[in-house]
Amino acid sequence: MSEKATIKLSLICSLVGLVTIYAAAMLARPKVTPIASLNNGFVGLRVLVSGQVIDYREHEEGHLFLKLKDSSGGVISVPIFSRTRTQMEESIELLDVVEVNGEVTVYQGELEVIPGGAKDIKVIHVAPVALSSITEENVGMPVKVQGVISKREIVGGGNILLTLQEDGGQLQIFIPSWIAENGLPEMHVGDTIRADGWIQLYNGKIELKLTSASHLHLVEDG
Amino acid sequence: MLEVLVYALAGVVLGTVTGLIPGLHVNNLTPILIALAAAASTGMVALIVAMSITNVFTSYIPATFLAAPEEGTELSVLPAHRLLLEGRGYQAIRFSAIGCLSGVMVAAALSLPFTAIIAPAYELIRPQMHWLLIAIAAIMILLERSLEKIIWAVVVFLLSGFLGLLSLGTNLMPADAALLPLLSGLFGASVLLPSIAHCSTIPEQHLDEEPVDIRACIRPICAGTAAGAFTGIVPSIGPSQGTVLAQLITRSRGTEEFLISVSSVNISKAIFSFIAIFAIGRARSGAAVAVGKIMDASSVNPPLIIGVALFAGGIAAILQLSLGRLAAKHMDRFPYRWLCLAVLAFMVIFTLYCSGLAGIIVLATATALGILPAAANIKRTHAMGVLMFPCILFFAGIRESVLTALGL
Repeated sequence: MSEKATIKLSLICSLVGLVTIYAAAMLARPKVTPIASLNNGFVGLRVLVSGQVIDYREHEEGHLFLKLKDSSGGVISVPIFSRTRTQMEESIELLDVVEVNGEVTVYQGELEVIPGGAKDIKVIHVAPVALSSITEENVGMPVKVQGVISKREIVGGGNILLTLQEDGGQLQIFIPSWIAENGLPEMHVGDTIRADGWIQLYNGKIELKLTSASHLHLVEDG
Repeated sequence: MLEVLVYALAGVVLGTVTGLIPGLHVNNLTPILIALAAAASTGMVALIVAMSITNVFTSYIPATFLAAPEEGTELSVLPAHRLLLEGRGYQAIRFSAIGCLSGVMVAAALSLPFTAIIAPAYELIRPQMHWLLIAIAAIMILLERSLEKIIWAVVVFLLSGFLGLLSLGTNLMPADAALLPLLSGLFGASVLLPSIAHCSTIPEQHLDEEPVDIRACIRPICAGTAAGAFTGIVPSIGPSQGTVLAQLITRSRGTEEFLISVSSVNISKAIFSFIAIFAIGRARSGAAVAVGKIMDASSVNPPLIIGVALFAGGIAAILQLSLGRLAAKHMDRFPYRWLCLAVLAFMVIFTLYCSGLAGIIVLATATALGILPAAANIKRTHAMGVLMFPCILFFAGIRESVLTALGL
């Protein structure tokens, strides 16, 4: 067989093989279970769920408790225990899309999906929204924003009010005193931060309310 | 003390068996050993370390005489096979024995300073790892010099990279099971098939010991051991990428230097993957994971690991040379074509057993891809894209996004 014929044959075989392997990998992919379809009949089974983080809470021992919501409208709790969390290469923030392969269990009457390890969790980060795009229509909805602190003031009994600026847009971030006193990273005017929380109206002004110290990240020291 | 030596000797025996049988790996035995081990058994740790070290030495015998690679010996197959066809198969064994034994000694000497700098070095390197790998791949490709060859090198790198991504990063089969058909196909079956097709015969093997210039070996040994230490701490990087790194540093080109260098990388990686448990609390090989399961990181004793590695390395080098000499002496008595066919059949059956039907498809595709470099007259190293490409995506933090974009 000539060299050219060998190259042609090898290339054809490789490409046909790759297409076949791709098809096989597609077939081998566990099907995503719509969260709304999960019920007690699933307890003890392994499922793959994928959804957006609509809430998360950090436990003092390092566990992370997520609430995932998918397009089916269902919401499921996903506890990520500290041991698994330390193995994870990526952090999880509000509104990130997270895919979890885990076992369905019941805890205090509520269904949960517990991942076996870090490899069972895939995170796709969602970019922060532009400050100028936040309107009254966003009230009551979770958002992720990023910007430079232009003003920092203490209001009421130790609450912090930050004014964030980015590309001409501006937004106030309200940090209740109990969060300000519990592990909030130190930050100053000029620092770039990323924060996620719920949009609310206060005295007719739009602001983002922080619900946990872990929802605020210092991106760049000013 | 005596107990540790007895366990280490048992490890040497098991390592010889796993090294000599193509496709059988230390990782196939470690689950059994973990089950047998008593809690925090120092003896069992010695056995696993000795087995892992001996396996590296003796696996060069099937890699040389049967073109049957294991993880780490894949790049040595072609140069060793070339020497075999020149009647110098035993010299290939000698060069790899020199590389392995010197690698053990240099790694032992480096282990203490290495333990001190490994953790900060790891933290420093890790964020830039994808750029480092892209640079290595780019240099490897550009070294082909002519435009046509560069294009073929890119094609081989990307196709093997895509194959690696599909096989190692999806639910097709467990990543451990995918390595066997990938490496056997790209670096084993693709070398055997032309030998079968061309009815190659093995010339009479010369057993005279060609003089080795030790001074010329110092550079590949030191660079190889350092690269092995690097690959021992960084996840997903194999000895082959380490060898490419060592080759670039030393600019060594000869077959002898290459074999010595790749052997030093391979043995050094094996040793430092155990040291990494103690230094950074992470296991970087199947055998190291087993040690980590028997003992926690704080109980792992680096002097014990180094001592056992030196002890096992000394015996394994003698075993490698004796068995290599025996193989070279009797090689021409066997019909080489049938021997190659038997090894190929063994690869297929073992792949079917370990990786299932999907493994056979991966093996066939990897074999077809492995034939391309020789046909296009480019280096087979580009097929290392099979591991490098998924690594680059992983370190760049985009592997999952790419798989998601591909609908996987």
